[in-house]
Amino acid sequence: MTETLFYRLPWRATAVYPGVHPGQMVGAGHLFKRHQPLIASPDPRRLDLRASVLDPFGGYRVRVYQQESTVNVYVLADMSASMGYADKQQTLIQFLLTAANSVLSYGDKFGFIGCADGIDKRWLLPACQQSGRVDELIKRLKNHRYSGSSNGLKNAAALMPGKRSLVFLLSDCHFSLTQLRDLLGSLQGHDVIPLILWNPHEYASLPDWGMMSFKDMESRATRTLFMRPALRQKIMVAYQQRQHDLKHIFRAFGNEPLFITERYSTQTINCYLQQRAT
Amino acid sequence: MNLAVSTPWGLAGLLLVLLPLFTSGMQASATPWLALMPADRLSSFIDAGLRLCAMTVIAALVLGMAGLHRTEQSLERIGHGAHVVLLLDRSSSMDNSFAGRAPNANNDGKDAEESKSGAARRLLTDFVKHRETGLIGVAEYSTSPLFVMPLTENKTAVQAAISATATPALGFTHVSKGLGMALSFFQQQSVTGSRIVLLVSDGAAVIDHDSEQKLREWFKQQQVRLYWIFLRTANSPGIFDKPEDSRDDNAQAMPELYLHKFFLSLGSPYQAYEAESPDALKQAIADINQLENLPMHYFERIPKQDLSATCYRVAGLLLLVLLAVKFCEVKR
Repeated sequence: MTETLFYRLPWRATAVYPGVHPGQMVGAGHLFKRHQPLIASPDPRRLDLRASVLDPFGGYRVRVYQQESTVNVYVLADMSASMGYADKQQTLIQFLLTAANSVLSYGDKFGFIGCADGIDKRWLLPACQQSGRVDELIKRLKNHRYSGSSNGLKNAAALMPGKRSLVFLLSDCHFSLTQLRDLLGSLQGHDVIPLILWNPHEYASLPDWGMMSFKDMESRATRTLFMRPALRQKIMVAYQQRQHDLKHIFRAFGNEPLFITERYSTQTINCYLQQRAT
Repeated sequence: MNLAVSTPWGLAGLLLVLLPLFTSGMQASATPWLALMPADRLSSFIDAGLRLCAMTVIAALVLGMAGLHRTEQSLERIGHGAHVVLLLDRSSSMDNSFAGRAPNANNDGKDAEESKSGAARRLLTDFVKHRETGLIGVAEYSTSPLFVMPLTENKTAVQAAISATATPALGFTHVSKGLGMALSFFQQQSVTGSRIVLLVSDGAAVIDHDSEQKLREWFKQQQVRLYWIFLRTANSPGIFDKPEDSRDDNAQAMPELYLHKFFLSLGSPYQAYEAESPDALKQAIADINQLENLPMHYFERIPKQDLSATCYRVAGLLLLVLLAVKFCEVKR
C-alpha cells in the first residue's frame, strides 16, 4: 500500500498541466530551455542581462524553463479467462492498487481499461484523479470472475486519448502472435510497458510421470497427456520458446517486456522501470 | 457369424457408446492456454486408445445385457461317412440271452449272461461313438414301428436313444412296418454318402404281399443298403439254413430264410450277418463300420451360442485396464 511505482518517462509529456514529468511546455521549472524575447515571455524576473547585452538587436532576452507536466497513465488489463489462473488475478489487483496510488500521488491521471471478449463499460475508467472511483473499481474487480477471450484488447486504443500516454499492458499474452502484433501496432502512439504475468505452476511444476488431462480455460478444449520426463522437458522448452518469441515481438515495437513469474513485488517492477528510463 | 440379441430394445443403450467421445472421464486440470502444450503423438495415441477402450466396454456391457448370441447355423462339410438308420427289434425274445434263456445275473453273478438286446446296445453304442461323421437315426419295431430318433449328428442323443432300449421289450415282430419307417427317414434327405439301414433282430416275420411291393419300390427309390445282423439264438433256424424237408420250405415255417431271400431279391446292396454270440455281433458291426465310409456332403449344425459371457469378460478386462490408468492419473 505504501509502496510507490517510480515510473520515469524517457520522453517528454505533452500535457499543459504541470506535473512531475519532463514536458514540452515552458513555464515554471528548473531546467533551462532557451532564451526568449521579453515580449514573448513577459516575466522581468527571468531577464538574463548577459544575454540581453550580447543581443545584436538590443532586445531583452528572458530565460525560459522547461515545465514539468502531467501524463495520463493507463492500465490496460487482459481480463480473459486465462488471467484467472492461479494468482494472476491477485497480482493484477495488487499492481492496479500500487499503480493507482503512485499515479495519483504523482498528480497524474489514472485510467483503466479491462478487456475480455469485448470492452465492457463496467471495466472502463477514463483518466481521472479520483481515488474513490479507483477504489470502487478495485472492489468490483475482486469479486469478478474472468471469462472469455482477450479479443477486446485490439479495440482498447480507440478508448485512449490521442496524446501520448503511458500504458501498462497487463496480460499473460496467451493469444496468437499476430494478435499481439496488431495490438502493439494500435498502441504505437503510446508508451507501452508490457508486464507479462506467467505462473510457473502452469509449466514448471508438472509431474514427471502419469496421465494428465488439461482443459483450456478459454476454449474449454481438453487434451490428455501422458506425462514423462521427455514431454515435461518439451513443455518447458515450449514455454521458453514462447517467451523468446514474445520478447522478440515486443522489442520489434520498442518495448522490453517484464515477465512476472514469481510473486508480485513492486520492487521488481521499480527495478525494471529504472532500467528502462536510463 | 449370424449374430442376434434376445432383447433388441436393450441395444438403445448403444447410444451411450458415444459418451467417451465427449468426456475423458479424467479430472481435467485447468491450463491457461492449451496451444502452448506441445503436440505429443504418444499421448494422443494413448488417449484415442483409452477412449476406444471405454467405448468398447460400454458396447460390450450393453451387448451383454441385450443378450448377444450366435444363432444356430449349418456348416457345409465334406467327409467320409454314411447315413445310418439303426432298426432295432424290440420283440420280447431280444431280452433273452444268446442261449435262449432269460439272463439271470442275480443268481451268483459269476457266469451272468448278457441279453441279446444288452449286447446289441453295448456294441451299437460303441459303433455310434466311433462314427465321426454322418447322421444316425434310430427306429424300433415290434408290434408296430416306433419312431425313436430322426437322422441326427448328435451322438449323445443317439446313445441315449439306444440305451432307452433297456426298458422291457414288447410282443411281436413286425419287420415290414419297421423297415418302412426306417426307409421313411431318408425321404427328406439328399442322396449323399451311403445310406444304410442296419437291421438288428433275432427273428423274422412274414412280409405280406402289399408291403413287399412297397418295400421294393422304396429301396429302389432311396438307394439304401441293407445290413441285417441276425442274432441267432442257439438251436433256432438261421438265415442260411436249408430246409431239410421240402414241406417246410415256406415262409410260415422258415421266415428267416424267406426274409433273407426277399432282401436278396431287392436289387440293392445287401449283406447279412449271422451272429451267435456277442463276439460275432462285434465282428459284424466292425465290418460295417469299415465298409461304409463313402465321401459325403452334409451340413453340420452348430447350436446357438450365448456370447454375453464373452461380452462381460471383454468388458471386465478392459475395465481393469481403465482402472489401472485411473490409478496412474495425476490430479492437481
